[in-house]
Amino acid sequence: MTRKQKRLSVIAGALAFLGAATGLTFYALGQKASFFYMPADLQAATLEPGQRIRLGGLVEKGTIVRGQGTEVAFSVTDMESSVPVTYVGILPDLFREEQGVITEGSFSPSGVFVADSVLAKHDETYMPKEVADSLKAKGVWQEN
Amino acid sequence: MVETGHFALVLAFALALVQSVVPLFGARTGNERMMAVGGPVAITGFALTALSFAALTLAYVQSDFSVANVWENSHSLKPMLYKVTGTWGNHEGSMLLWVLILMLFGALVAVFGSNLPATLRANVLAVQGWIGAAFLLFILATSNPFVRIVDPPIEGRDLNPILQDIGLAVHPPMLYLGYVGFSVCFSFAVAALIEGRIDAAWARWVRPWTLAAWMFLTGGIAMGSYWAYYELGWGGFWFWDPVENASFMPWLAGTALLHSAIVMEKRSALKIWTLLLAILTFSLSLLGTFLVRSGVLTSVHAFATDPSRGVFILCILTLFIGGSLALFAIRAGSLTAGGVFHPISREGALVLNNLFLTTATATVLVGTLYPLVVEAVTGDKISVGAPFFNLTFGPLMVPLLVVVPFGPVLAWKRGDLYGAGQRLMAAFAGALLAVLVVMMFVDGASVFAALGIGLAVWLILGALTDLALKSGFGRVSGHVMLHRLVGLPRSVFGTALAHFGVGLTTLGLVGVLSFEQEKILAMRPGETMEIAGYTLLFDGLTPARGPNYTEERGRFELIDADGEAESELVSSKRFYTARQMPTTEAGIKTIWPSQLYVSLGDPTADGGVVVRVWWKPLVTLIWTGGLVMMIGGAVSLMDRRLRVGAPSRGARPAAEKPSLGLPT
Amino acid sequence: MLAGRPRLFIENTMLFWVVAALLTFGASLAVLLPLASRPKADSTDAHDLEVYRDQLSEIDRDAARGLIGDAEAEQARAEIARRILRLDATGKSATAPRFAGAGRAIGAAAVLAVPLISWGVYATIGSPGVPSKPLEQRLAQNPAESSVEELVARAEAHLAANPSDGRGWDVLAPIYLRTGRSAEAVTAYRNAIRLEGATADRAAGLGEAIMSAAGGIVSAEAQAAFERALVLEEGHAKARYYLAVALAQEGRTAEAQAAWRSLADGLPEGSPWREAVEQAIVAAGSRLTAGESGAASGPSQEDIDQAADMPAADRTAMIETMVAGLDERLRQNPQDPEGWSRLVRSYMVLGKPDAAKDALDRGLKALGPATEEGKKFAEFAATLGVAAATE
Repeated sequence: MTRKQKRLSVIAGALAFLGAATGLTFYALGQKASFFYMPADLQAATLEPGQRIRLGGLVEKGTIVRGQGTEVAFSVTDMESSVPVTYVGILPDLFREEQGVITEGSFSPSGVFVADSVLAKHDETYMPKEVADSLKAKGVWQEN
Repeated sequence: MVETGHFALVLAFALALVQSVVPLFGARTGNERMMAVGGPVAITGFALTALSFAALTLAYVQSDFSVANVWENSHSLKPMLYKVTGTWGNHEGSMLLWVLILMLFGALVAVFGSNLPATLRANVLAVQGWIGAAFLLFILATSNPFVRIVDPPIEGRDLNPILQDIGLAVHPPMLYLGYVGFSVCFSFAVAALIEGRIDAAWARWVRPWTLAAWMFLTGGIAMGSYWAYYELGWGGFWFWDPVENASFMPWLAGTALLHSAIVMEKRSALKIWTLLLAILTFSLSLLGTFLVRSGVLTSVHAFATDPSRGVFILCILTLFIGGSLALFAIRAGSLTAGGVFHPISREGALVLNNLFLTTATATVLVGTLYPLVVEAVTGDKISVGAPFFNLTFGPLMVPLLVVVPFGPVLAWKRGDLYGAGQRLMAAFAGALLAVLVVMMFVDGASVFAALGIGLAVWLILGALTDLALKSGFGRVSGHVMLHRLVGLPRSVFGTALAHFGVGLTTLGLVGVLSFEQEKILAMRPGETMEIAGYTLLFDGLTPARGPNYTEERGRFELIDADGEAESELVSSKRFYTARQMPTTEAGIKTIWPSQLYVSLGDPTADGGVVVRVWWKPLVTLIWTGGLVMMIGGAVSLMDRRLRVGAPSRGARPAAEKPSLGLPT
Repeated sequence: MLAGRPRLFIENTMLFWVVAALLTFGASLAVLLPLASRPKADSTDAHDLEVYRDQLSEIDRDAARGLIGDAEAEQARAEIARRILRLDATGKSATAPRFAGAGRAIGAAAVLAVPLISWGVYATIGSPGVPSKPLEQRLAQNPAESSVEELVARAEAHLAANPSDGRGWDVLAPIYLRTGRSAEAVTAYRNAIRLEGATADRAAGLGEAIMSAAGGIVSAEAQAAFERALVLEEGHAKARYYLAVALAQEGRTAEAQAAWRSLADGLPEGSPWREAVEQAIVAAGSRLTAGESGAASGPSQEDIDQAADMPAADRTAMIETMVAGLDERLRQNPQDPEGWSRLVRSYMVLGKPDAAKDALDRGLKALGPATEEGKKFAEFAATLGVAAATE
């Protein structure tokens, strides 16, 4: 191989590699990025059962029910509508009524949101950003 | 004293402005005197910033609530250690620490750079001056820690309890040493672009700085990961959270830079690429600072965020990244490019490493910023989490790890792949054996888990093989080999250690991801549970009181096969009174290299408590590997060829020759 | 000592300006000295040459150790030699100083910029007049210069370390009372009495604190404390005053007025109590003439006196009508803590603990159990032996 050919083959190899990586990245973004919804957004959205989403809002007052052992059920609300959520595991320290929360998981065929993770930031003034933005847009929540 | 600190900070800002202009002008016009200004100004600027930082620390130690920052983040009853670490446990203080470290690096360049070409030194210090001036202005204008309260309250509001931890004492300074350390590489790159030439000394100078920054960043990330693991009580060590990605991207790019700088030093090739990497690495550090401080992305990590600060950092970001890349676009063409080389060679392997690492950096960048872009374009809110990164980052890392052992055993210029393969036969056999052992003897091991373990063993044995080959294993007698081993350059040890550390981390990751066991159950006092062959007895909850919190301590006993209590584990739910904030303290029992991790949940109606227990096999290796990588970096840094860029004039090369008494 | 604070302040500020001036001077020197010193000659090519020489010696070392073969070493040496040759070929472009005049101007500007920028910026954002205030120093400074808040914090810190210092509690108790920290005042008075022995002043103070904690209602406990004060010192003004208040609160306005009158007669000239007592007498008088109609009130002493002349059945009916009237008023207008207190007391007097308990629960609901008023109401009821339904 001449010097030029050598250089070209190296560049072609690198480009092919980068192309493959780019393809993989966008495929993964399409497949694995989960959309964020507030309960009121869900009526307009078309979700396939089992599709992973993030559901955010406030923990509705008086809806936290502790089942046997580690099961917990509660509702996430955005003051317009609310969605029942079940979760098995330990809730974050700052999980409280009327506090912002983000749950991640998917809907069961019966319409209950089965969360496999519940996030509440480790800060007492925490309001997840998406939740805060959406609530502010709805005029339900003001920053003090 | 407080106001002295404040004044010193303002003075440091004035000096940084001088440092930004005068040496640069001197270098442009060939004025030696003006070039010489950079050094003393950088050192004085560092001293003033240090004075300022000391004043703030003193205010924290003395609980001086006339300083608003102290009042907001401290409490007179807090233990002394956390009073001190509280200095950088908040936005303002941590930015001051950031600048302090930046100034420290500038001063180090001034002190150790006396044998650099004068124009290069002047330009580097000027660029450091720009960064310093920009961030000092940022602190003074938007995040001044020295805002005073004329009639101070008698008690402070306490530090976020989650940050009252020894991990916080070490993690941010280490991370910042890494982040900011790359500013030196950036300054060198920009200085080279300004001058329009890359000196031979350039690569030799940049490599130790990269190495030092990389070392601290490695330690900082490992420590942050361990801190999240035991402090948050979720048992997770990496969440692909934007804030974590913010520190991981400069690490990936920095690792690439570390390797490309070797090629540049040894082979005078990849010059322009290395320059670009140096710029990109620090740009990613700046981006990380922006992401963390502006709160544009949702993160599980708590930081006080403020839109006006975000805009300010965004301006700094645009100015530095845009400016340096524009300069690069203009000047890169005029720099002399290096030669091409054979793909199968040490430098070829290093290029492959760069290709993988930069692509991996890009995927992390895309995953981190994609939600931001989508929201700006379509208004949809999405989140990109672990599944995305597992799908993209994983496939990029695995082939890279597979080829890692080849790199050091290939020769420069023209390597012999077949020969290298032969030399690595032993390591390969060991890895294969590991795969078979895992498949046959470990219950429930998947093929992937076995291959993962095999990959880790391959990395570990590969690193050892490299050392064995270089010391002449099998070719010379044991005595001579030992002599040779001791006489090897430290950078060889550094490389081997770092690659060994990568292997350990891989082993830990595969262990936890494949063989972790988790149980969530409600336990009442006196009940037992079993996990991974261990029996845990729950003794019950007892209330206790700390200096600034109350807690419910859950005591567990680890029962051995004979039913004897072997050791105890305490996990607790704390309540910090000043901030009215609950936290969970995990109970961790290390059975090296694995850990038993117990986290308390809420009480149940029937008098029990929800308990989450994990068996985390090999988990400690994740961080041990990080530590070993760090030690590798330190050993490499001690190599005298790296310590001095250009040898001091007058020092005869012959005198540097170490007398090892080797048979020649 | 009074002049101590301003002088200290001036000294601190002076010291600060001196330090600031010294720092500025030092920083300006860092710019000035290199500009004024003699430059060293330097050539970039010489640096490169050093590097290449060093690399050559490195190759020799590696070859000697057997890290690289002879052929490889030879190749590497040749390459470095080529680089050295290239170095010689590329220009020897040592630049001579240009723009010497502009350089001098910029140098001078740089030296001046340091003090100008720093003092200018600091003047706009600094607070040179605010001294450092370490907590310990604030707590240890001359009491005359401290705020009440600081003094209390100091005393608290002292008492936390020496909880058996009765005198400390004695000093702190009235301060708590005055600053509205009634519950802490009660504790402080109790501790003072326990450690230092009872005096009329302490007992009366305790009564006042208990009363204040109960929202101004003289409970049985407070009454006992005031009576104790009278035992310890006959005619203690504060104790007598508040005992009369207790009478008035029970609706025995005439008796209260009489008690205040006799207190006023016995008060020495210039007593701080005179004004309060005289106002109380006037207020009681107007209440008596107005017949205590209108506002929410329980059966007054007159009503009861009147009732005493009635047949027993009529008497009970009358009282019950009045209480029912109060009850009805409170249903209409529940935001009346004093009315609720009277209602509970009335039901207890009538021997209807269940009705009292019901009134307590309704009152708590109306006032809100977590509010200050609600809490005081519940505490008052507790002194009558009525406890709220457990939540």
